[in-house]
Amino acid sequence: MNDRPLLKIDNLAVSFPVTRDATRRVRAVNGVSLSIFPQQTLAVVGESGCGKSVSAMASLQLVPTPPGRYESGAIWWTPDPAKPPTDLLKCSDRQMQRIRGGQIAMIFQEPMTSLNPVYTIGDQIREAILLHQHIDRGQATRVAAEALAEVGIAAPESRLKEYPHQLSGGMRQRVMIAMALACKPKLLLADEPTTALDVTIQAQILELLRRIQNEHGMSVLLITHDLGVVAENADAVAVMYAGRVVEYGSVDDVFDNPLHPYTRGLFASMPILGKRHDRLMTIPGNVPNPAHFPTGCPFHPRCIDVNDDTRCSTDEPPLLEVSPRHWAACWHCTGYDHATQSPPSVTHRRSHQTAAPA
Amino acid sequence: MTDHATAPTAPIANDAAVAAPRRSYLATVIKDTLAKSSAKLGVFWIGCIAFAAVFAPFLANSHPYLMRTADGRWSSPLLAHLTAPDLILVGLTAVTAVVFALKNLSAAQRLITLLAAAALLIPLSVTLIEPPLTVVYDRYRSMTADGEIQWALYAPIPFSPTDRMRDQPENRLNEPGATHWLGTEENGADLMSRMIHACRIALAVGFIATGIALFIGVTVGGVMGYFSGIVDLLGMRVVEIFSAIPVFFLLLTFVAFFDRNLYLMMVIIGVTSWVGYARFIRAEFLKLRQQDFVQAAIACGLPLRSILFRHMLPNGVSPVLVEASFGVAAAILYESTLSFLGLGLVDEPSWGQMLSQAISPAGGFTWWIAIFPGLAIFLTVFAYNLVGESLRDAIDPHLKKAPT
Repeated sequence: MNDRPLLKIDNLAVSFPVTRDATRRVRAVNGVSLSIFPQQTLAVVGESGCGKSVSAMASLQLVPTPPGRYESGAIWWTPDPAKPPTDLLKCSDRQMQRIRGGQIAMIFQEPMTSLNPVYTIGDQIREAILLHQHIDRGQATRVAAEALAEVGIAAPESRLKEYPHQLSGGMRQRVMIAMALACKPKLLLADEPTTALDVTIQAQILELLRRIQNEHGMSVLLITHDLGVVAENADAVAVMYAGRVVEYGSVDDVFDNPLHPYTRGLFASMPILGKRHDRLMTIPGNVPNPAHFPTGCPFHPRCIDVNDDTRCSTDEPPLLEVSPRHWAACWHCTGYDHATQSPPSVTHRRSHQTAAPA
Repeated sequence: MTDHATAPTAPIANDAAVAAPRRSYLATVIKDTLAKSSAKLGVFWIGCIAFAAVFAPFLANSHPYLMRTADGRWSSPLLAHLTAPDLILVGLTAVTAVVFALKNLSAAQRLITLLAAAALLIPLSVTLIEPPLTVVYDRYRSMTADGEIQWALYAPIPFSPTDRMRDQPENRLNEPGATHWLGTEENGADLMSRMIHACRIALAVGFIATGIALFIGVTVGGVMGYFSGIVDLLGMRVVEIFSAIPVFFLLLTFVAFFDRNLYLMMVIIGVTSWVGYARFIRAEFLKLRQQDFVQAAIACGLPLRSILFRHMLPNGVSPVLVEASFGVAAAILYESTLSFLGLGLVDEPSWGQMLSQAISPAGGFTWWIAIFPGLAIFLTVFAYNLVGESLRDAIDPHLKKAPT
């Protein structure tokens, strides 16, 4: 398997002005580096407001500028390993229009509002197809029907003529996926694709994503805060907190040996099937307001491992390779003292035998 | 996966969809609007006015449809005297009726057929139709008196709006009666005929002025709302400048400088009354640009043109349409007011101009010339407001029974 990353986010920082005081800017994403390899699923985990979505949106230049601003970094896109990568942040609007939908597709959290209520779903899928493929309307209709059939929608021809309000939430998310897949993208950015759906539909949608990923050999950037979803689907995991990646590794490494206290907190706050809980553990406190990030490690005010260590409150720990192919950013994690600085990239892909035929 | 569509636990929206299969948002809004009897009345009245406007020369005309003269020759003076606008209006109405009667056409095909018909009809009519310049209406009356016309078929109202019956001074200021249903004005022209022909100006002023205003308002408002920031800031200042212009006094000034011109009037009303639409569209677009489906459209790689006008506009245009129905009424009132003040057109009859004739320079008051045109203005403005209100209720999400 070729090991050039398909998408490489390199030291990305995105800032927004403070609502009350336009002269000050806060960084919603601050020095994020990630890599996604062909056919890999990278899960980005974290609480609300930690910069997961902004990182994904930046990959398609979807962060509104102004008010947002790309402060530093590059997003290297290598659709063809034989050619040099392009920096997605420096692409013109025209180049971006070709990449959006055609090479990188995105599906959103809220299927109820992601489809335009005034057009039939056929119109919407067809528009996306006609934009990126040079075929006529009749062929586009056939491709759209095939895409609907592929995501498991029965009677696709008649569904094409329906309006979004005639479909249930799970159906709409399937339509969104069909729309995203119709142009055979190389990378799918899935921004909490199952958060708004009920649990049985969630499982179906995730299974569908997994099956389609296998069939098309596509990469997926899965943004979620559901660790169960991560365990089921992801090859690599990046845990984000306050606009930074705090832990990064293969799903096995991170789940078997969580290094960062925030990751451990996330695992501890998850119920385990078959185990009695009085009350689930929580991480004390809230995500800090981006306008008032604490100095030093952004997590230290909530960290249970801090024991009068002034380093935590004064110096920010960089993301270092603590053990092979496993990165963490915490002064106190095991092995941090002799960790090495290296660009975070996990090429691990597990076999997707778990995917059941749909 | 088929169980999705038929699952008993499907959300309520699905049940509603089963009850009303495949009805678009537009169709729903039209149905809800017409559900009110007041709106039905309004649409009916506007329909009557539109019918009268299109077929005015066939409804009220001094020229007979068909006549046979003493020498045995048949002729149709009415058709011979049709003007280019008459033909264009009738022709386009006929094409529209045919296009919408054929069920299996798509919206795009209908539009293309209509545009093609317009592109063909307008230059042809303008170049080919040359009605006689001098019209002597008295000819028919003297011919009938002389027995030269053996047989003739006249329009329901056998008087042209400019048929002033100079040979019959006793016809001036007749009260409504059997010959002149709504009476005659001070020059002896039939009031009913003039009112029917005036429908054209009333409709044209309303629609064209509002159309210009809508076009400017939607474009400016859409750009302001989508880009926001500095564009919005500057755009809103322009809106404020324009909302400070007193339209009526501007119209008076322009009439004073540039003579009386109906088209100039339409343009001025149009370019000064777009600010309301721009504000509405801006507010809608500011809201819509945050919507997921707009983000999804951008993420699909759609060009800006398609995002603005294909995806955002249909979702944000409804409050503007409501406003536009009131705008049409306001434009009609402007025109009537100007005509009432004697600053309207001279040759073409208009309701406001007729109204001003109710009071003669000598100070006499003629009730029928005041009542009937006044009623026509009132009813038309009222009808537009009824339709506008019903439309507003139909699209107002707060009043919807079941959210979609």
